[in-house]
Amino acid sequence: MPTRTPFALPADAEPISQLDVAADLLTMLRSTTTEPRPDIQLEALTLAVAADLPVLLWGEPGIGKTAALTQLAASLDLPLTTVIASVHEPSDFSGLPIVGDDPAEQGVPMAPPDWAVRLVRAGRGLLFLDELSTAPPAVQAALLRLVLERRIGALQLPPDVRIVAAANPRSSAADGWELSPPLANRFVHLQWTHDHEVVVRGLGGTWPRATLPLLAPERLAEAVDFARRAVCTLLAARPKLVHQLPNSESRRGGPWPSPRSWEMTLRLIAFATAAGVSRDVLSLLVRGTVGDGPGLELLAALDRLDLPDPEVLLADPMAEELPQRGDLRQAVLDGVVAAVRSRPDKARWEAAWAVLVRALETGAPDLVVVPATTLASLRRDDWDVPTEIENLAGVVLLSRRADEAAARAKTATKARR
Amino acid sequence: MSTDTEHGTDTGTGSGTGTGTGRGTPPRNPEGALDLDKLFTARLQAARARPYLASALFALHTVETRQVPTMGVDRYWRCYVSPDFVDRTPVEELASVWVHEVSHLLRDHHGRSDRVAKERDLTGPGDRLRMNIAADCEINDDAFGDGLVTPSGAVLPSSLKLPAGQLMEEYLWEFRLGPRTRELAWLDCGSGADGLERGWELGPDGAHALSEQERDAVRFRVAQGIKGRPGSAPEGWKRWAEEAFHPPQPWRALLGAAVRSAASAPGAGEDYSYGRPSRRSAGVPGAVLPSLRRRPPHVSVIIDTSGSVSDAELGSALLEVAAISRAVGGRRDLVTVVPCDAAARIAHPLCRAEGIPLLGGGGTDLRAGFARALRGHPRPDVVVVLTDGQTPWPSSRPPCRTVVGLFPRHHDHTTWDEDDPDYVPDSPPDWARVVHIG
Repeated sequence: MPTRTPFALPADAEPISQLDVAADLLTMLRSTTTEPRPDIQLEALTLAVAADLPVLLWGEPGIGKTAALTQLAASLDLPLTTVIASVHEPSDFSGLPIVGDDPAEQGVPMAPPDWAVRLVRAGRGLLFLDELSTAPPAVQAALLRLVLERRIGALQLPPDVRIVAAANPRSSAADGWELSPPLANRFVHLQWTHDHEVVVRGLGGTWPRATLPLLAPERLAEAVDFARRAVCTLLAARPKLVHQLPNSESRRGGPWPSPRSWEMTLRLIAFATAAGVSRDVLSLLVRGTVGDGPGLELLAALDRLDLPDPEVLLADPMAEELPQRGDLRQAVLDGVVAAVRSRPDKARWEAAWAVLVRALETGAPDLVVVPATTLASLRRDDWDVPTEIENLAGVVLLSRRADEAAARAKTATKARR
Repeated sequence: MSTDTEHGTDTGTGSGTGTGTGRGTPPRNPEGALDLDKLFTARLQAARARPYLASALFALHTVETRQVPTMGVDRYWRCYVSPDFVDRTPVEELASVWVHEVSHLLRDHHGRSDRVAKERDLTGPGDRLRMNIAADCEINDDAFGDGLVTPSGAVLPSSLKLPAGQLMEEYLWEFRLGPRTRELAWLDCGSGADGLERGWELGPDGAHALSEQERDAVRFRVAQGIKGRPGSAPEGWKRWAEEAFHPPQPWRALLGAAVRSAASAPGAGEDYSYGRPSRRSAGVPGAVLPSLRRRPPHVSVIIDTSGSVSDAELGSALLEVAAISRAVGGRRDLVTVVPCDAAARIAHPLCRAEGIPLLGGGGTDLRAGFARALRGHPRPDVVVVLTDGQTPWPSSRPPCRTVVGLFPRHHDHTTWDEDDPDYVPDSPPDWARVVHIG
């Protein structure tokens, strides 16, 4: 038995309370700085919350979902209420049945819990329902009703209360919880992951500070118009995408396309456009609402909307800049040639050659080969060869050399066999 | 490899390339500038030989640099090219290198390398080289031939004495750096192949980087093209197109999720019920409080296999189901196994070892097995069927949730019915959740 404790002080010193020292140490540990750093997850979450759509964050336990919500609440200037679902009972969310004098006459009212009453009285707030997937089924059912119908017992939540739920992914949840397809369809699903570098820097004392997107009041009309055009253009061309129930086991419980989730997508595109966020953020939102496949198709359609219109180029080959990226440029040239093929006349055919020459002057020659070959095959007998074709001699040579190389490759591979 | 720190010069998009004035021979480059004409000729040949990769090839942005040994890509879809390499390499080999480099990006080798490195804690520089070699093996086993020559010095699985047709993650375990790989050490496809940043790369903030969403868009378009015209692409690319955006999940996770969600659905497991008042009700007069009830789920496993499923496969699936059932609160005695005829010999020793009660009399096929399982006491909440599908299914939905673990069929060495070679068994009915095992 040691007779001296390690905390024993010299007799003549002023006694300092250990708790005060501990408090000082804790204060030092808590003093951290922040640095600006874009965070597309948080931007996507902000937009979905602003758009008043039910959000479900899928993330492993302990990766900072609550910290993100705290930052979001501060930026939206809403008081944050966090409710950990797995430690509550269903009556906390669906209300307690209070049996009165004459239930048959008056019905049985469902009395809401006090925190809900306070929330309704405040009229605004951010409600974060954490650990949705580890609660018993009856609690989950009550919670989903709260998220989707915004009711707690007999209380209706005011419109300025925004709700975000979080669940652990199927792989890490203790009981493999999953949403049924009808419920999954009502949520915007955001996969929440941690960034290794951010965590290491944060523990070193510097946490990231994201600039959250702001809606620009002057862009609202343009945003609505763009969103409607984007979704309608795609669905008009691809009727199959309007409604697709998830068919494989691995896609259960995730987002899938239906008229409802397309409407949510439309709303999110409008919000993203009005806030001017990057395509990466929009990609997270769209893929989290209608699923990966339809989401990627929609994003591809948006990319096509950004490309110059073939008809505009045919009217004036110098009208618009050709995109710098090779694959997009090739798509534009193919579009121009296809437009000539659908309505061939001499003026359009010659304008198309001018576009090709311009493409050759400003970019790689190899992607002009296929459009030029196709365009040459559209020639009518009475059309003269335009003088611009002289400028395409290099393309012909390139094409011939590629043919020669292909022939050499063919003999070489044959010889090997 | 030179050590000067000049950064790559941006070749733009090749403006001002002498638009061929009829030179028959490739020009020599005394001043050592990049011969863009030759490079783009090769790209055109590559796009013609592999039309389904054309848009990906054109999406690459070329950067001239003397620091890269041959050609390399980074994860932002920039392709770094050494002028000397272009000069000394014939066009048809350059075309193959183009296809090789773009394959790294399409197959997301940098992302997969990062994931593997994180999962298995591979942090040494040698590990990234091994990933690059493994990634090359995955690409090269079916990239060449059919209009493309095999470039000199290409790493083939056969040169490492490995089988063809596997994925990078599988190859990674099958070789070590040693004498056989020594001559490969010069090989460097850049961070696009193994996720490790190189000195010559422009990084995320450089010009002409493709953002993550743009990269996904290109990959998605290529995958759609392959799915839309499946005739021309080799098997490896078809498989990639199917799985590029829907990576297959391990069957254990899927089977686990299916059994768990069936076993913890309302009516079984831990849940609140108003059937009996809570003991706390006395303290809250007038309010009705629900009480927490536990009814452990009862899981019945029907095993019905013919000879095509190996004992090891079946055993691992059975143990998996037993472990999951216990995890959701089922007691050991609440998991029962009903083997149909052929499976009894495997099921017996397993159940004895695990202490799982075995019900006899599963009958000769699945319908009898179902009937036997539903006669059990207590009635099962979930029936898990482990089968290879060569069996008649019940005609109507049984009164419990059903999960089917379906083993792959091996067409080559079994026929369904020797008297009737055209007989194909029914696929599982749609009232069951089906998980493909293996």
